[in-house]
Amino acid sequence: MDFSYLDDWMEEEAGLEPVDEAGEGYRNVWVAAEAAQGILLPATLQTMGQARDLADQIGVYVYGVLLGEEVRDLGESLFAYGADKVLVAEDPALAEYQPEVYARIYGDLVEQHRPEILLVPATCLGNDLAPRLAQRLNTGLISHCIRLEVDLSERLLLGTFPVLGGEVYHTAACPQARPQMATLEPDRFRAPYPDAYRSGTATMVDLSLTENSSGLTWTMSEAALPEGGRAFVSPAVDMSQARVVVSAGRGMGDADGFALVKQLAQALDGEIAGSRGAYDEGWIAEEQIVGVGGAFIAPDLYIACGISGDVYHYFGLQEAKFVVAINSDEKAPIMKLANIAVVGDACQVIPAMLEALRQ
Amino acid sequence: MKIIVPIKQILDPRGITVRRDKERIFVNREEYVLEPGSKAAIEAALRLKDAEPAEVVALSVGKPQAEDALREALAMGCDGAYLLSDRAFEDACVSAVAKILAAAIDKLGGADLVVAGRESGDTGAGQIGPRLAEALGYTQVTDAYALAAEDGMLQAIRRWGNGYATVQASLPVVVTVAARAFPARYPHGARIMNAYREWDVIIWDATHLGLDDADLSPLITLRRESFPAPLPVGERVRGEPTSVAEEVVMSLRLQRLID
Repeated sequence: MDFSYLDDWMEEEAGLEPVDEAGEGYRNVWVAAEAAQGILLPATLQTMGQARDLADQIGVYVYGVLLGEEVRDLGESLFAYGADKVLVAEDPALAEYQPEVYARIYGDLVEQHRPEILLVPATCLGNDLAPRLAQRLNTGLISHCIRLEVDLSERLLLGTFPVLGGEVYHTAACPQARPQMATLEPDRFRAPYPDAYRSGTATMVDLSLTENSSGLTWTMSEAALPEGGRAFVSPAVDMSQARVVVSAGRGMGDADGFALVKQLAQALDGEIAGSRGAYDEGWIAEEQIVGVGGAFIAPDLYIACGISGDVYHYFGLQEAKFVVAINSDEKAPIMKLANIAVVGDACQVIPAMLEALRQ
Repeated sequence: MKIIVPIKQILDPRGITVRRDKERIFVNREEYVLEPGSKAAIEAALRLKDAEPAEVVALSVGKPQAEDALREALAMGCDGAYLLSDRAFEDACVSAVAKILAAAIDKLGGADLVVAGRESGDTGAGQIGPRLAEALGYTQVTDAYALAAEDGMLQAIRRWGNGYATVQASLPVVVTVAARAFPARYPHGARIMNAYREWDVIIWDATHLGLDDADLSPLITLRRESFPAPLPVGERVRGEPTSVAEEVVMSLRLQRLID
């Protein structure tokens, strides 16, 4: 019998490329940690919490990666927040953020260790670095996620992010390329409690940094203000942690009206915030703006005085537990979504409330 | 100095209504506009051109209708406009768009400065600037509020942490600007006429740029679209300020929200 056809078939079989399944050889969840002024940023801790959850679901380890100058101790504190392994790269040249150097170091580390998922907090640094790194690794990036989950059947990271000013959520995945990258919006996830029993030793990354001539020169100074910009004052209390927030909008009329809002905030022991209109009027600082491009807050009580409450504003207070709106315009959008909508002039209602609070 | 501005045309968000309860997006008016972030980028580039002689070229990856956006850029003061349009570009994701733009910028002989919007008004991913910088091999400055370029250096004030920082970088640089910091100028009437009558938008396709399909496959796929919960409807209170205030304070006290 002629079995030559078998030889042909075997040859053909041998010549076949091995099936390269997506994600083959890629394991573990990484967090690009960020520290400033000697502490890990809250956004980094929140990202660690998410990384731990995802890693537990797919049964892999969590790696924390930290770059900087003398950051070893900080890196090792990541263990308490859920890291199983910590990679630290220390060099005086990393004291200031350099996009090219950071992208190169992360790129090399990723190629060497092949993480399956790489999470980056969507801070100024993260938003600058993550897309550059994704392009370098030729992989996809899901930006500004407010929810992360895993599709266990395909072992895919699904990231949900707001589009159209928060009116619609899109959920996307990166099915082929690895690692799967996502940036996480700050203050949308809960930071884990540190577990003091978890500790470990960071693995130091051997850097062979060459002279970088095209690097950025940073000057951090109070004087660094864009023309027409206002000084940035750190809030006494982190807005995202405030329990009671009293917020002013253009409807307060003038500075006297805004003074009433201040008094109300004082009487309730709360923080002052406002809409973009209040910022434009010069009543509040930029970090007190609530909404898209400003603060996302989750107070127990939010009182909106003279704010019409467009979607951009509402998006910042979706997590508020109880909303009181005081507005003379009955048809203002915020009146529809407040738990108590007071139809009336805020300049008259607030003094009356102050009086009622004194009783 | 040669400044290149990648711009984008989007569906006018003012023509879109989202009904959360119906879980649908209604496009009331299908009109395409120059995206506000791109407009700010053009403005930022033109301000640099006002300060010292420069050539400003606008680029856009899009469907043929994006030509209108480029003509608007010409009217505002750009010196040249290129539309990168091809059937193969239609489902390009942001990494592919970065490659397309990088190929076009290389074909134009590189740039001293690339100015882009920080994030677009529709998806708001904010990826194109850094991705383009990587594809070109330039350094980058994102989220800039003020720009100045002299002696081969770019000086920018950017948002950083809880404040602003001044950043210096040697050219070439890719910089993305905050839309709020660069309110766009109105084009001169004569320039609007010229933008449609006299000046041309040059169209390049994939073969001009030497790109093949392997470079353009999308990396990110949309899995689902969802909507935030419909807004809750609360209680309405009206009447005399004193009685209203007492009612509100009482109900807040009952719920133990205040002391």
